[in-house]
Amino acid sequence: MLAQVTGRPELLDVPVAADTRLFGAGVGLDSLAGTLLLRQVQRRYGVDVAADDLNLDSLETLGTLAAFIAARI
Amino acid sequence: MIKCVVWDIDNTLLTGVYLESGADLPGADPGLTRVLRELEGRGILSALASRNPPAAAAYVEQLTGADFAAVECGWGSKADAITRIAAELSLAPDAIAFVDDDMLERAEVAAALPDVLVLTPEEAAQAPAWPEFSPAVITDEGRRRSQLYAERRQRQAAAAEFGGSRDDFLRHAGTQITIATAGPADLPRLHELSVRTHQLNSAGQPVAEADLAGLLASPADAVITVRLADDFGDDGLVGAAITTGNGGSNGPDAGVPAPSMVVTVPLVMMSCRALGRGALDALLAWLCRSGAADGAAELRVPCLVTERNVPMRLALAAAGLRAEPESVAPDGRAIFTRPLTGELPALPDWVIVK
Repeated sequence: MLAQVTGRPELLDVPVAADTRLFGAGVGLDSLAGTLLLRQVQRRYGVDVAADDLNLDSLETLGTLAAFIAARI
Repeated sequence: MIKCVVWDIDNTLLTGVYLESGADLPGADPGLTRVLRELEGRGILSALASRNPPAAAAYVEQLTGADFAAVECGWGSKADAITRIAAELSLAPDAIAFVDDDMLERAEVAAALPDVLVLTPEEAAQAPAWPEFSPAVITDEGRRRSQLYAERRQRQAAAAEFGGSRDDFLRHAGTQITIATAGPADLPRLHELSVRTHQLNSAGQPVAEADLAGLLASPADAVITVRLADDFGDDGLVGAAITTGNGGSNGPDAGVPAPSMVVTVPLVMMSCRALGRGALDALLAWLCRSGAADGAAELRVPCLVTERNVPMRLALAAAGLRAEPESVAPDGRAIFTRPLTGELPALPDWVIVK
């Protein structure tokens, strides 16, 4: 989903580790890619991250996002 | 306020049906062409949604002399086409008008996208007189908006072909982000931004030009502008921030900084067209770094929490700002803060600070 949303196919090579950070270097999620990602998460899992998470702390790492979604499905 | 009109082609912008006309292609409807060009001059974009091959769009572009910001020529539903156009242009449905001679098409779109303004060609002919199509201020950035979107299409196409990271592309495209203190000539554009921006706006309320002028003159406040350009085109003034407290201009009172000082940012806003180009990240990084350089201990950004400005909240989170769920300003905004110690967000080398 990340590769699709950011339009960067090389992200498919990023190790899918729970501690892979989403902001900053590496994945480098910005407002645009982040908005698209949240929209996809809502579409695919029915979870509205922005509505439930004021600080978007769930977007800290792949692991925190997965846990956030899993708790709400 | 309508920011983009999506036009049908057959029997709307054209006086006939493109594919049924053989060698005798239909001409452009003169009335609607005039409306399209008039709206373009006011900074209102036009896009095409048509069940026709792409050649029909090129034909209409040639006939009308218009710069279409987005083109959806395909065989799917008009509602889907409009949804894709809205996403591509980063516009909300209520900023879009749709013109189609076909009653069934209009009904489909009205049902699927209730916020879109659905018009018959006859209504579209009258639209320039309506308030939704009459922005109060038309700035240089506004007049050039259609051209800016044409440049944007070229930039997007190049970005799609590019192999590296977002920052690699920004560098490759010769991106220049200029951060400078606002001057009186910037006032109309700053006011326009405060009215037009929603997704990347922390306050959600317009600021009058007179109030902005007051801030320019006040030594305790600062108005910081962000300009964006690259090899594909110059977007001009795309965003701004108002700071108070330690972030004010270095007047005679700027003596020894006290470690407990806080920089408060009552407003940060950015054109959604600048999304994905690092401008907001650069502004937030600069606010952190200049605040720290002035000796402030904390950056404070009150921010509205709505469905619409999620992109703003993402930028704040990426810059390391957090809000206590109980911290709410008198005007109902959540207060996002971050200490100005430790590792501050990076300022890329293509950012020029004046």
